[in-house]
Amino acid sequence: MAAIEVQGIRKKFGKLVALDDVSFSVADGEFFCLLGPSGAGKTTTCKSVAGLVRPDEGTVRLAGHDVGDVEPNHRNLAMCFESYALYPQLNVFDNMASPLRSPRFRLSDDEARERVGRTAEMLGVAQLLHRGVDQLSNGQRQRVALGRVLVRPAEAYLLDEPLAHLDAKLRTAMRAELKSISHGDLTTTTIYVTHDYVEALSLADRIGVLREGRILQVGTPEEIWDRPCNAFVAEAFGKPRIGFVDGGLVDGEHGIRFVSSDGAVEVPVPGVEANAGEAVRIGVRPHDLELHPGAEDVPAGRVRVDGVVYVLEHLGRQTEVTVQVGTALLSVVVPREDVPDLARDDRVGLSLDPCAVHVFARGEDERRISS
Amino acid sequence: MSTTVTETADPSGSTAAGSDAAPARPRPELRSSRRKALAGSLANVSLAAYFAFSLIPIVFILALSLKSNADQTTTYLAFSPTFENYRTVLGIGDGGSSYVRFFLASLVTSVGAVLVSLAIGIPAAYAAARYRFRGSEDLLFTLLSFRFAPELAVIIPLSVIYQQLGLYDTFVGMIWVLQLVTMPLVVWILRSFFQDLPAELEEAALLDGYTRRQAFFKTVLPLVRPGIAAVSLLAFIFAWNNFIFPFTLTSSNAQTVTVSSLAFLGGNQVQFNLVAAGVVMAALPPLVLALFIQRYLVRGLSFGAVKS
Repeated sequence: MAAIEVQGIRKKFGKLVALDDVSFSVADGEFFCLLGPSGAGKTTTCKSVAGLVRPDEGTVRLAGHDVGDVEPNHRNLAMCFESYALYPQLNVFDNMASPLRSPRFRLSDDEARERVGRTAEMLGVAQLLHRGVDQLSNGQRQRVALGRVLVRPAEAYLLDEPLAHLDAKLRTAMRAELKSISHGDLTTTTIYVTHDYVEALSLADRIGVLREGRILQVGTPEEIWDRPCNAFVAEAFGKPRIGFVDGGLVDGEHGIRFVSSDGAVEVPVPGVEANAGEAVRIGVRPHDLELHPGAEDVPAGRVRVDGVVYVLEHLGRQTEVTVQVGTALLSVVVPREDVPDLARDDRVGLSLDPCAVHVFARGEDERRISS
Repeated sequence: MSTTVTETADPSGSTAAGSDAAPARPRPELRSSRRKALAGSLANVSLAAYFAFSLIPIVFILALSLKSNADQTTTYLAFSPTFENYRTVLGIGDGGSSYVRFFLASLVTSVGAVLVSLAIGIPAAYAAARYRFRGSEDLLFTLLSFRFAPELAVIIPLSVIYQQLGLYDTFVGMIWVLQLVTMPLVVWILRSFFQDLPAELEEAALLDGYTRRQAFFKTVLPLVRPGIAAVSLLAFIFAWNNFIFPFTLTSSNAQTVTVSSLAFLGGNQVQFNLVAAGVVMAALPPLVLALFIQRYLVRGLSFGAVKS
């Protein structure tokens, strides 16, 4: 096991800038998630750590040593590829046993068989060991690829979207399995690449959010959820997505307030690090909103805004209500039985806690300006 | 159809309603399938016709090789076949002939050229597929130009160089020059095979703890075997069929069968039937080889056409 330190790596493929000054560090035994949309540079980052991509600039350190000149097979890392990269000419057993037969990590045949058997059992592919790779479904291939990684202890695991091609039920089960592996007795430093924020929040000790080759924010799941550093990060986490309202800051008698451009939303924003007159965008997560179908008063300390129902989506026991407030759309999730008669275009109220409002500056980076 | 169903469903009661409802017109999907069958048999007939047409020269040369001296200028197929031509060409009962020696020379030089091009071409093709560097495309294009540039353009300088280096009429010289014919083929075809393999296979092998060389031999090479089989056969045929290089660069020692078959056209009597017998035998090695590796060949030549 080893700590990983990535410092200022840049990588260009032709004219395309894949990584632009990416830095982060992963502590020994830590589970680190790289989250970002496709094309953000997650895989390139992973491959730079593995030594498969040579960064144009910057350093990668494993356990404190600069590994810039170390060949991938001498870094003692195990990687799970998004494309599985299973050897088509070998069956499942031989694929999973491949690391245990290589000159660097060779084990005796009995030991290798035992390890492969145990790993296959854990991943639910034990009955497939003698099948050819071409006889597997995508989900099975993905589990075999993961098995080839977990079969041997390594300094660190690099997992590139290891659950992406599983069906929803299996993905949840495997996520729990991975969590128990990664937080069990034998913790291995792991870099886990995903575009699924739920995986990141559930598995990670810390998360790094990537966009267009740049790290936007690194932090624990709580930090990233509670204090997203900009509007992009805020939007990347949570479903339904965070709702945004554009407007400006004005001075009020009880401190600085936010007023939306159309005047429909007005809310105090304590602790904002900006002056009155500045154009800002506020974000409110659906779970911080409460729906008030009637005209009743909202609890003390909360602020009420009024709008009309724009979309109603019944999702099993819950209902997602999208409310149009002025020109902005805000989503809120409520128990279905609370809104039995609600219909499109009904007038409703929403209440929110001013402390749960995220304020972002307008402009290129939309950085967070509230505490 | 509907009538039968009604009857079986209700064997005791009235079947009148069921029979009335029976449709008289053929269903549209039936007509379209009939049209498809017609188109299919038309295609088969034209394929058979083309097959017969393309067989004519082969039948002709086979027939000619079995004709006596008296029949050799006739074009009809009614004659009394004789194996005398084959006996003459091979020198059976005559203390042997040089044809056998030239045949072996052809085998040695063609196989040698293929082996040399594989030994150099496989690594070259792999490198060309995986590593792009400044001028790599130009390099490959230059290599390809060996293939489409007319051989006649280089034959005079090559002949002078061979005379001066002492390569004229030697096996090494022939292998060297035939390798110019086969190498571009090997590199270009195998490169596309290597390109079709995801680089992540080798990357996975590297991370499994194998060296780059082991990764190549263990994961990549086994996957391009069909390609190597196909390209070896093609290269062999090109080397075997080459005429201009052995014609100008050999005389008696390393002369190949393509050139020696012509010998029967000289002398005091032109003997097309002997040429035919020589040519028929000369066509055998590529044919045998093709049958031998047919299984790989089909896979090899259709590789990349269908992504798995």
